Amino acid sequence: MQGYGDAGGELAQLQSTMHAIEAACSSIQMHINPAAAEAAILALSQSPQPYKACQFILENSQVANARFQAAGAIRDAAIREWSFLSAEDRRNLVNFCICFALQHANSPEGYVQAKVSSVAAQLIKRGWLDFSTGEKEPFFYQINQAILGTHGLDVQFIGISILESLVSEFSPSTSSAMGLPREFHEQCRRSLELDYLKVFYCWARGAALSVTSKILDSDLAAPEVKVCTAAMRLMLQILTWEFQYNRKGTKSINHFSAGVRHDNALTNRTDCILVQPGLAWHDVLISSGDTVWLSNLYAALRQKFSPQSSWIDSPIAVSARKLLVQFCSVTGTIFPSDSGQSQEQYLVRLLSGIILWVEPSDAISKEIESGKSGSEMLDGCRALLAMATVTTPAAFDRLLKSIRPYGTLTLLSTLMGEVIKVLISQNSEEETWSWEARDILLDTWTALLMHSLQPLHITGGGISLPPEGAVAAANLFALIVDSELKAASASAYNDDSDSDYIHASISAMDERLSSYALIARAAIDVTVPLLTRLFTERVSRLHQGRGIVDPTETLEELYSLLLITGHVLADEGEGETPLVPDAIQRNFGDFLEADKHPVVLLSGSIIKFAEHSLDPDLRASFFSPRLMEAVIWFLSRWSPTYLMSLEETHDRNDDSLLSRGHQLPQNSRKTVANYFSEYSYGKFVLGTIVRVSIITFTSYPGENYLQGMTCYQLLHALVRQKNICVHLVALESWRELANAFAHEKMLFMLNASHQRSLAQTLVLSASGLGNSEAANQYVKDLMGHMTKYLVELSSRNDIRSISQQPDIILSITCSLERLRGAARASEPRMQKSIYEMGLSVLNAILVLLEVYKHESSVVYVLLKFVVAWVDAQITYLEAKETAAVVDFCMRLLQLYSSHNIGKISLSLSNSLLSDAKTEKYKDLRALLQLLSALCLKDLVDLSSDPVESEGTNISQVVFFGLHIVTPLISLELLKYPKLCHDYFSLLSHMLEVYPEMVGQLNNDAFSHVVETLSFGLHHQDSEVVNMCLKALRALASYHCKETAAGKVGLGSRASDPRNPSGGTENRIFSRFLQSLLQLLLFGDYSPDLVGAAADALFPMILCEQSLYQKLGNELIERQANPEFRLRLTNAFQALTSLNQLTCTLDRMNYQRFRKNLSNFLIEVRGFLRTK
Amino acid sequence: MSDEEHHFESKADAGASKTYPQQAGTIRKNGYIVIKNRPCKVVEVSTSKTGKHGHAKCHFVGIDIFNGKKLEDIVPSSHNCDVPHVTRTDYQLIDIAEDGFVSLLTENGNTKDDLRLPTDENLLAQIKDGFAEGKDLVVSVMSSMGEEQICALKDIGPK
Repeated sequence: MQGYGDAGGELAQLQSTMHAIEAACSSIQMHINPAAAEAAILALSQSPQPYKACQFILENSQVANARFQAAGAIRDAAIREWSFLSAEDRRNLVNFCICFALQHANSPEGYVQAKVSSVAAQLIKRGWLDFSTGEKEPFFYQINQAILGTHGLDVQFIGISILESLVSEFSPSTSSAMGLPREFHEQCRRSLELDYLKVFYCWARGAALSVTSKILDSDLAAPEVKVCTAAMRLMLQILTWEFQYNRKGTKSINHFSAGVRHDNALTNRTDCILVQPGLAWHDVLISSGDTVWLSNLYAALRQKFSPQSSWIDSPIAVSARKLLVQFCSVTGTIFPSDSGQSQEQYLVRLLSGIILWVEPSDAISKEIESGKSGSEMLDGCRALLAMATVTTPAAFDRLLKSIRPYGTLTLLSTLMGEVIKVLISQNSEEETWSWEARDILLDTWTALLMHSLQPLHITGGGISLPPEGAVAAANLFALIVDSELKAASASAYNDDSDSDYIHASISAMDERLSSYALIARAAIDVTVPLLTRLFTERVSRLHQGRGIVDPTETLEELYSLLLITGHVLADEGEGETPLVPDAIQRNFGDFLEADKHPVVLLSGSIIKFAEHSLDPDLRASFFSPRLMEAVIWFLSRWSPTYLMSLEETHDRNDDSLLSRGHQLPQNSRKTVANYFSEYSYGKFVLGTIVRVSIITFTSYPGENYLQGMTCYQLLHALVRQKNICVHLVALESWRELANAFAHEKMLFMLNASHQRSLAQTLVLSASGLGNSEAANQYVKDLMGHMTKYLVELSSRNDIRSISQQPDIILSITCSLERLRGAARASEPRMQKSIYEMGLSVLNAILVLLEVYKHESSVVYVLLKFVVAWVDAQITYLEAKETAAVVDFCMRLLQLYSSHNIGKISLSLSNSLLSDAKTEKYKDLRALLQLLSALCLKDLVDLSSDPVESEGTNISQVVFFGLHIVTPLISLELLKYPKLCHDYFSLLSHMLEVYPEMVGQLNNDAFSHVVETLSFGLHHQDSEVVNMCLKALRALASYHCKETAAGKVGLGSRASDPRNPSGGTENRIFSRFLQSLLQLLLFGDYSPDLVGAAADALFPMILCEQSLYQKLGNELIERQANPEFRLRLTNAFQALTSLNQLTCTLDRMNYQRFRKNLSNFLIEVRGFLRTK
Repeated sequence: MSDEEHHFESKADAGASKTYPQQAGTIRKNGYIVIKNRPCKVVEVSTSKTGKHGHAKCHFVGIDIFNGKKLEDIVPSSHNCDVPHVTRTDYQLIDIAEDGFVSLLTENGNTKDDLRLPTDENLLAQIKDGFAEGKDLVVSVMSSMGEEQICALKDIGPK
């Protein structure tokens, strides 16, 4: 009876909980006191063992939201309490969730069922490694029964959705957090992939098959459709699984084998996921004929429902198409190694269905334009992309030939042509289906053509398109250029007020142009003459219409032609010297006469056009800043590849390799290069380029973008090649430029940073001069005027009064920027003159720093010049020179510090105040860079005598410098990540390389170092923590080794010999031993840091053994729970004894200790950290 | 370009001019500019074109260095802008009078008594608090286009 009474009381309890949760749920919905309601729900999930209450709510509550919350509470509580639950409780919970979901399959509130399924999935995963196979069996039996459809369609649907949740829980990217180590998730993933995934796939397929015939007999609203859609979704989900363990059973196939292509970047770009499940899936995916079944199903549905316009976007159609596209991406070892034949057959079967989605393309595009949905057509394009990704161009082309009189490439070309026609006719700004289709198809071409770009030793000879394909590519390229030109002339009058948008789209456009270039190169013999013709036509149109017609449209057309041509003819060097593109090398065998070579003709006509800009009248009528930008861009893209290329003088080593097997017309490659070589037309072209560059500086005042492009792209690229420098310095026009730079005011009108770049370029070109004297003299002539100006100005009596004039500020800034540019161009040959250049202005710099102490922009330029100059010079300097430079740097630091320490800016404007802070940050960063540059001297020293011979000690100097700088760095400023990084990396570098210095620091400096390390150790950026740990390791191991050898080490900084057990405040290692242990045991930190922490902890323990013992004992005694106390004792024991750890600091011991520490933390952190 | 010819030589009556012309394209962020007859610090510069094939123009966002108000201007980049002559002078703070005027010690030993404290309470508090603590304070006074204001202070007292 008592039992009954208890049950009654319990029932009342459960009911009241249910009512409370129901009330909370409805008050949330009505926004009445949501905080209290949320607290009530949270209380349920946080209460111990709330399962009974939750189950009661799920089974009895009429409020769907309450049921939803109850399911969530089960999940939260079970994950939290999992390790305390008995095996039976665990099984029961999982069982309850599965049964509940299945039993209430027909409930109208689907989201509750979905939630319960997902809870079931999460619990199954949580217990995955605990449950034996026998324990898991009943769960899967139930789910399988459901999916078989014996209990009706609703149950079947829920069964599938449980599996869906399960698969997504096991996939690392979509799994929910459970607070467990990564290995756990990895083990689950491996187990599911190897043992269950294929089974699930078969179940899903079975479910889909079981309802197919009914669907074909009924309509789209039939309940079977829902099941079929879900099943296909699950199949798709399984096929997008990242298969990793497919190598089992096959011979070690590595990642680089033939099955996998090398272009990872490409697959990222096109978001086409390759499906590589491995041989084990052959029976299920390939020989089962699934593809045929699905193709037929889709075709049948398509035929039946196509009159309904909504059908194309209905869930079943979308899922079926997605699955078909995914089938196209299947590749790898799943196919037998029969040189791709079975894969080809497989793809042909798929293509024969998919072809109907995209062909006849004109009819389809017309239908879409008149309102039909474009998604089927887009999926067709995606399928082509997937096939192109997994095949070679030749195989790709063959696919269609078995069912059509033409190849797939022709289809691709026609299809894309159609899309481009639609794009032209629309001419709207909005993104439409044709945009998307164009992008997918362009990616398809890229995927195909990248094959032929692969290095020869990988593909076994460059694969070019079959002849039919080349024709298709040529036609397509003509259409593309036509459409681009039309788009250009149509947009010529657009006033781009929203320039942000334009800049954002430039990189997208660049990508598009690269794809166009790939297509053009596939039929290079046709496309280059086409571009030449189009270009010449536009130029003559300009001349004919001069003064009569508004040239704007033609200018815009020329602009886009220049961009396209640049991409076709040359690759981007990305810092290296690009070669003449393969396609151009290979395809012009017949042209031995240079002046008739198509590439020479095209390049020549553009260079000639560029030359027109030298004529003032023509410039005024045609050469708008924008067109000049395109001209400069083209020249800077073209010249590294063709102009005086070194290739024709030194034949490439692999020539023999290239010519073997395929008759490479070497002469052709040389023809173009020879034509523009230094012995032929090249010098003339170089002269033209320089003169055009000068024009952009002198005749386009204020066009910053254009001038920047000339400075940074064109001229920089020229002086990078030494053989070009040789000719540059001999050119009359280059001398003009240098002269104008040194003596004329005109170039002071350039943006200051452009002047810096120009100075760098001009100084670098001196490396083309025959000997060091000439080069140094050249630099002196170039920069002498600037240094003289600065010296004279700084020694004027009225410097204080005139210095604030804006014109003086401008010319000082520009001069300093020029010096900085020159300093950055330091090369051994010019080193002497650049050293002297800097030396002559050192005093001036200190004067200016004083005069401009309130003018932060000038201060910054001053500091940056010093940094660049010291950085470039320090390694070359002799001891005496070093002493002078070091002395100067210290004076600079002290002066800067005296101006800024304790200074507070006052302003009404917050943005001016934050600007002031940013300026300070930049200054300090420059100062830290200066100190780092000084550190270089100890690492690399090219001088003849050691620095110490003049009494300079670099480490002392840098520590002293740090001592000056650190008070200026506030905690506020350390919030700038770059400054923080620079500061800590300099500090930890110093402590690592010169640990002995720490013993010699005065108290102030020492405590500053300690405080800084302590701050850094608790920084949230793990990189900073890492650097601090490295510094600690270096200090502790230095001290350990020194004391072991009977020396003092860090002396009183580390231990107080008079009072060994006394206060720990001033002893560096005792302090850090404590705080590091505290952090390791109780703090939050990235697991990556454990290794570095072990490296720091180990020597510190050796330094402070007794303290370590004491801390350990304290910690053990604090544990109330005897079990935990024992575990902690054992763990501490193991930490210092396991793996034969000994007390010497060598590599082996560090490694052992790392292992020990990580085991130790795994063992004890779980119960030490409570929350 | 004729108005740029005094780059290397400075004019004799340097202090007389309140503003100097400078090509818009060369004015950088953190520089100064006159917008609507007010001296401003440039906090943002962007360039755009007048029509696709037209010339560049600069869009300046400046902040009035005295009252902190934001001002904007668009100038063709080859044209000249006015750049204000901004000077800053350090004085030692001697006294703060009750009427809100400060007494400053100039370099040649005279006093300068015509400068009012800022009216903004925050700034006022920072100066007054420092002064009340008995620190030796140096104030920087920024002047431009006929206006003056304290823009920074610095503690030079013994530690």
